[in-house]
Amino acid sequence: MRSQPLMMLLLAVLVLGLVGPMAVAQDTQTLTVSIWGFNLDVLEENVFAPFEEMHNVDIVLDTGNNSDRLARLQAEGENTDIDVVHFATQFTYLASQEDLLQPYNPDMLENLDEVYDWAQDPLGNQAGVGYTVNSLSLIYRSDLIETEITSWADLLRDDVAGFVSIPEMSTTFGPSTLIMIDRALAMGEMDEGEELGEINYDADMAWEALPQLADNLVTTYIRSSALTTLVQEEEVWVAPYASFAIGNLINTGHDLSTVIPEEGAVGQTNMISITAASDQVELAHAYIDWFISHDVQLAEALDLIDSPVNATVELPEDICALLTCGEMLDTMIVLDQAQVSERLEDWLERWNEVMVR
Amino acid sequence: MIRRPNQTRTVILLVAPAFVFVLVFFVLPLIFLLSQSVLPEDGGFTLRGYVDFFQSRVSRVVYLRTLKLGLIVTGICVLMSYPAAFVLARMPVRRRSFLMSLVILPLMTNAVARTFAWLIILGRRGMINQTLLSLDLVENPLRFIFTETAIVLGLAQLFLPLMVLPLVSAMENIPNDVLEAARSLGANRLTTFVRIVVPLSSDGLVLGATLVFTGSVTAFVTPAILGGSRLLLMSTLLRQKAVILFDQHAAAVVAVVMILTTLAVNLLLRVLRVQQV
Repeated sequence: MRSQPLMMLLLAVLVLGLVGPMAVAQDTQTLTVSIWGFNLDVLEENVFAPFEEMHNVDIVLDTGNNSDRLARLQAEGENTDIDVVHFATQFTYLASQEDLLQPYNPDMLENLDEVYDWAQDPLGNQAGVGYTVNSLSLIYRSDLIETEITSWADLLRDDVAGFVSIPEMSTTFGPSTLIMIDRALAMGEMDEGEELGEINYDADMAWEALPQLADNLVTTYIRSSALTTLVQEEEVWVAPYASFAIGNLINTGHDLSTVIPEEGAVGQTNMISITAASDQVELAHAYIDWFISHDVQLAEALDLIDSPVNATVELPEDICALLTCGEMLDTMIVLDQAQVSERLEDWLERWNEVMVR
Repeated sequence: MIRRPNQTRTVILLVAPAFVFVLVFFVLPLIFLLSQSVLPEDGGFTLRGYVDFFQSRVSRVVYLRTLKLGLIVTGICVLMSYPAAFVLARMPVRRRSFLMSLVILPLMTNAVARTFAWLIILGRRGMINQTLLSLDLVENPLRFIFTETAIVLGLAQLFLPLMVLPLVSAMENIPNDVLEAARSLGANRLTTFVRIVVPLSSDGLVLGATLVFTGSVTAFVTPAILGGSRLLLMSTLLRQKAVILFDQHAAAVVAVVMILTTLAVNLLLRVLRVQQV
């Protein structure tokens, strides 16, 4: 039995390995956060690590895109271990419609008053707080396109045919693109002096023009990273782009110009919400409050990750130019996600009809 | 042969883990999927989902396109794999092992990285276009990516090993004596290959073709990147139904149609093999 001491040692290591973390875990709470898998290293430094230290909590991450994470939340329902969830507004709306979220309590968010009004409660039912804002505008190769791009309707121009890409209808910004093209086409039909009315969520003119737009497309894109590759490889010369992708697009090294179209840029908040199943309500509020605080918002903006919604954050001009802030906030069009969501199924079918031709 | 109780127990013990695993993680989910496709949330039994699927022009186009691409990729893999597998199967073991490890290289690389490499090769600034431009064969770069051709190329490269491996395995079992006997009876090389090698390796062909076809019609990353999101296939349609529209009933219908199609192709190949043998 010469191996007995070795076995004992192995057993001891195994037991310590199992029990040790449990002993630590007894004192430390856990907060499970569902979030996109991007820029986690920066978020760790700016958000997670300081929060863990302040509240003696372990943050566990569940990462993935909006739809995958919403699908998980739907599947798990009341049994989910997710406490806090980051979604684009459209997906927060869907989760809220299915009672997967609990309303936040404004009294538990000290920093809420510092947040722009439109981000405090974007859906109007306290399903979540907007913690950053993205914008959708246009980017183009100024060295290859002779006539300036100024309007969403320019995506239909003959001189860019074969070099256009737009977000797929199934993505967050897909419907927004169509609505903005509709707005541009409506503007083109207006008499001088006439003012553009309310947003037409049926986007009839854009649907009529979609076959023509489809002929101009090299492809549609699902992720911003795909757009970056398309621009990098010179397949795409003009496209709508989400503001958070600007850093990667600039890094392609091509002569790119960004433009806020004359019909405006589309703004969309990303939101943080508390799941209906979470029993870490206090901690979840503390997490949201921390995320919208001046310090976190400033740090995230300086790292070009999130455009701030905290009105007390002041940014240097060169940083502001790369994010959604300053003048952009005044001209930005924020779409009603309820209107968009109720049309999505029909739109996706119509979109497929045109695209499979 | 009479099997003793001990032997029976051993067989059960050996097979049980795999059986339970397949039952729990494949058969039961499959039954659940099937039931989801015929039992909508509002109750009752209906085949409405399947009728809707085949009545929709988009679904029909997508289904036929997926089927067509799957068959083309499988055909290309068969044509390229047979000669290669024949040579490999007759090589000395050490050299064969080395070459086999090269054959499976595409399976060992990351799908996204491999597909992006294709993007760079086939792109406007890619190797092929640069060569054509430098030889003055074209004035402007040609468009290769975001076409069905690009999808076929990417899938054929990815799934070629799945055809080569079963074929090599099947051909290894063909004794050299059989081939020599055919030759001595007057058959030329082509006749020997068609009349002897192909029928005797048909098990490998059926397995390889099933794997390649199934892989091709269910692939997501390669068609999504090389075909772009405009070229909708069954896998991308399934994604739309499941995670964009959250329509689990419609998603289950698409999934079941995909499964039944691959089963039908497998069955067809088996029938053809039996007729051939």
